[in-house]
Amino acid sequence: MELSEIAQRHDARHQFISSIAWPNDAHIAVNLTVDFDAMLLRRLLNEPPMQLAKGEFGGRVGIWRLLELFQSHNVKATIFTPGRICELYPQAMHAVAHAGHEIADHMWEHRVPNEPDLEQDHLLKTAAALERFAGRRPVGTRSSHTRALLKREGFLYTSEDSASQLPYYVSDDNTAGSTLLNLPFHYAIDDAMFYSFAWLGSGNAAQRISDPERVFDMWWAAFRQQYNAGGYLNVVMHPFVSGRALRIAMMDRLIARMKTLPGVWFATCEDVARHCLAAVPPSLA
Amino acid sequence: MPWKNGYTISDEIGLTDADLHWPDGNRCCVLVTVDLSVAAGSAGITEKDIASPAATFARHDGLTQLLSVLRRHALQATFAVPAAIAPVYGNRLRALIEDGHEIAAEGLRHEDVSTLSRDEEQARLQQTTHVLTDIVGQRPAGWFSLPRQEDPFAGGTISPHTIDLLLEAGYAYFGNGLADDIPHYWVSDFASRRAMLTLPYYYHFDDQFFLLFPRKGTGLENIDMLLRNWKGEFDAQYQRGRLFHMTLHPQGIGWCDRLQGLDDFLGYLRSMPGLWNPTGAACAAYWRETYPPETHLKLEPAIWQDHPRSLS
Repeated sequence: MELSEIAQRHDARHQFISSIAWPNDAHIAVNLTVDFDAMLLRRLLNEPPMQLAKGEFGGRVGIWRLLELFQSHNVKATIFTPGRICELYPQAMHAVAHAGHEIADHMWEHRVPNEPDLEQDHLLKTAAALERFAGRRPVGTRSSHTRALLKREGFLYTSEDSASQLPYYVSDDNTAGSTLLNLPFHYAIDDAMFYSFAWLGSGNAAQRISDPERVFDMWWAAFRQQYNAGGYLNVVMHPFVSGRALRIAMMDRLIARMKTLPGVWFATCEDVARHCLAAVPPSLA
Repeated sequence: MPWKNGYTISDEIGLTDADLHWPDGNRCCVLVTVDLSVAAGSAGITEKDIASPAATFARHDGLTQLLSVLRRHALQATFAVPAAIAPVYGNRLRALIEDGHEIAAEGLRHEDVSTLSRDEEQARLQQTTHVLTDIVGQRPAGWFSLPRQEDPFAGGTISPHTIDLLLEAGYAYFGNGLADDIPHYWVSDFASRRAMLTLPYYYHFDDQFFLLFPRKGTGLENIDMLLRNWKGEFDAQYQRGRLFHMTLHPQGIGWCDRLQGLDDFLGYLRSMPGLWNPTGAACAAYWRETYPPETHLKLEPAIWQDHPRSLS
């Protein structure tokens, strides 16, 4: 197949939003998102005990600090949670639900199985596990679950990858009726990229472990650019990474600085998704 | 049903800031670990490692400079010492103890034990204890398995038996745990609540990952990032009333501008009132008495289940 044809077919699955008016004339919508995967991904990759303990920090300590941080700024976040975390950290999950944050899907055990029946099984198990804490089924996911399946199960949005700066609609390849909203996140606004050694299997010479002041400057610049453009920012935090005291302090300064500007809409992903779906509904099926 | 076995090493929730109290009303605990290992990789200290210019610098100029900075700021440190290198330092280890520092064990050669049989690991552990006791004149209370520069992960390596063997051998603490930023209990058997007191470690406060990492010549020099991480963590933990820890290598931090950066940072740290700077052993003893596992290790009944077609 010609590259132009591939590009054309790929683009046809996307419907971009060129501009959007946020509620109350806000200049920017900010989604603070938390991937509460703790040690699950490390377990899945068969990483050694110390790596598991590094992830465990997120469940024992980090998630609690993030909850305190959000409460101190009176903002609601979206906590993308693997189903199995509900069996590891039930007390933290109760606290997340009690604080009124959105609880969304982050796969059953941090993977999407290739077998369709098992994929559905994992999605339903996770939805049921999260529902026991949230009192309602999740409407969003950070995963590569099949959109047709997600749509059948009542999901409104995904939050993965970054084919556009603003939220956009995307459908599965060759599957009518699979269009879902995507709330983009970018790896450059993801704490693990700057703080987590051996992230995603990276080798020693590829380590990018950095410091909070540098990350603060980058993320503030990203926020300012989108604020001026009337845009959107999705900040990705992992409790085992951002839950460390020096990084909580950095996020505290960053959120406080964002709040010095007028018209910053801190919202859950669900709130942003519902607004987008109502304001700019998809024309794709 | 194993208690979250293979996933977690401790209880479900760590202690909050409000739970924490340090001796004499102090506000923040400061732990300094000095790693005397010069092992590059999983084999532990090799002949090539010990004869390298960096190792030579470490045991002469580097250590001398580092000790003079620690002395200037009246800081006590815990030295993690592989048994194989202890004879190289000999009486200098006893002198460190006389200066108020602690000598802790770091394996036979600071090798990776993760694939050893239980018996082989136990034999090496006993030999390590014996050699260090002999040279230092007292039995080590602490055990470290700090990361080496060539390790694929930056947390240090242990085997599934290590914690249990350390408990059997009577060690008071394990020196580098990652599941908290304060002392915590590493549970080796949930049914009997058998647990090892563990002191916190985190690679963002370990000099070796910022100083020509992963190797001289081609690695990256990020001393500015290291200093910002130390200051950021110290400020945040001081504010919370928790614990700040740093891990130093004489071959790295003893050099030139890096040493000056350490000196400047420690001057800043020392300008803050209410610091408690114990050795690892003193910190562990205080913790065990103040926060004993009988009352402070909260092992909730597991709701962890085995699901068909899931990882158990």
